[in-house]
Amino acid sequence: MNVLWCVFTGPRYWGELVRMMDVLARRCLIPVGLAVAPVGAVISLQGVEAFREFGAEGMLSPMLGTSVFRQYSPMLASVMVAAQAGSSISARIGTMKVRGQIDALAVMSVDPVRYVVVPGLIACIVVTPLLNVITTILGLASGWLFAVPIGGINHGIFMANLFAEITPMDLWVGLGKCMVFGGAVGIIAGYLGLRTTGGAEGVGRAANNTVVATILLITLADYALGLLLLALQI
Amino acid sequence: MPAIEFRNVSKSFGDRQILKSISLTIDEGSIAVILGPSGTGKSVLIRCLIGLLKPDPGGQILVFGTDVAAIDERRRADRLKLYAVRKRFGMLFQDGALFDDMTVGENVAFPMRHHGGRMRESEIKARVADKLARVGLKDAVEKMPSELSGGMRKRAAFARAIAMEPDFVLCDEPSSGLDPVMAATLDELILEMHRELNIGFIVITHDTAEARLLGGRMGLLNKGELVVPFDATDKVLRSNHPAIRQFFDRQKDGPIQVV
Repeated sequence: MNVLWCVFTGPRYWGELVRMMDVLARRCLIPVGLAVAPVGAVISLQGVEAFREFGAEGMLSPMLGTSVFRQYSPMLASVMVAAQAGSSISARIGTMKVRGQIDALAVMSVDPVRYVVVPGLIACIVVTPLLNVITTILGLASGWLFAVPIGGINHGIFMANLFAEITPMDLWVGLGKCMVFGGAVGIIAGYLGLRTTGGAEGVGRAANNTVVATILLITLADYALGLLLLALQI
Repeated sequence: MPAIEFRNVSKSFGDRQILKSISLTIDEGSIAVILGPSGTGKSVLIRCLIGLLKPDPGGQILVFGTDVAAIDERRRADRLKLYAVRKRFGMLFQDGALFDDMTVGENVAFPMRHHGGRMRESEIKARVADKLARVGLKDAVEKMPSELSGGMRKRAAFARAIAMEPDFVLCDEPSSGLDPVMAATLDELILEMHRELNIGFIVITHDTAEARLLGGRMGLLNKGELVVPFDATDKVLRSNHPAIRQFFDRQKDGPIQVV
């Protein structure tokens, strides 16, 4: 609760926020891209022959579009942010804690939660949806590559149907999920980082626990949210 | 009226009592040395003083008239009171606690950037250069902490601790991990800052040579208790208290036992 209160009240450390966003975006872009891009390719690879058998090649791209847009991209982007950014934030704060730098901040009357946890949290909330946009494009592009030039599906049919099943709501749901999951990563990483004790081993433990806890949370929350959206027919 | 006053301060972690009813006073602009073996609660004492740890109920820590022990950081008004107290202190941590991702210059400028009021960038830079020159690191402004030796890191941290020219600097084992020459250099710096800027120092150490050199007032902490009254260093050194003699004569046997 204290962290959320600090998000909305001053003082704010804009320099730290910009630095964290820059670090996280750079650190996550390639791993997230590498994780999501093959998913589109795999869907196309598996789907081309199956749909062709039923003469329904046109159904491939809507399936690819909805699964990448709604599920794979937001979830994988969030999971990779958890793995990369979460562990990195937690290890940084944990190292600061065991080396006395968190106490040094407090002695200099700088609230450690505002200075190190809040910028990491906001950076995760902003960077995860941005990464999701990039990974969605990569996922669809790799799907196109395996469906059209390699799988032989007509480019016009593929493109005409790609966004047929996607509504503006899918876009908002995807971005919203990324913001919530990114926020969860930021809070858990900050919390576990500040609780670090026990030197280098403690730092490793905090980073590891952050990754396990956030991925577990994201997977369960994504499943629950998926069921809820189905029930609400959104 | 003393600047700092501990009144019956105790601190426990679970059922382990670290500090037992400590009472002492420290005058403004003075040097106070808390001596004692490792693991006896010296660091806990200064962490309670600066509000990093909350002592057990019942005691008082009056710092410039504010009872730090009674502060509840969850309350905004109390937090502001604590910050106001902390702004009167600098702290030299045992291993420096410099921020790894900042240059030495940025580290020293950090308290000024956050609490320097309307200090202009040129003023901050001038003061950073002055403080680093005082500790013999004027060429290290652009260096990262990882590029410095242990002694240099400690001196850079010292420059950061005195950057705001506080009323007191708390020194947590300033000579630990340093060679004797570097340790003596740092002690000389403490005395110089005390003379020139009238900064008070509270030094916790197990180094008897350092304690003798710094002078001021001294107390010996053993198993969480002040075993002799906190008094002028000369008087403490003349004491025949077995713990004092054991500590200063470097004896294995006596009331102080290895933890």
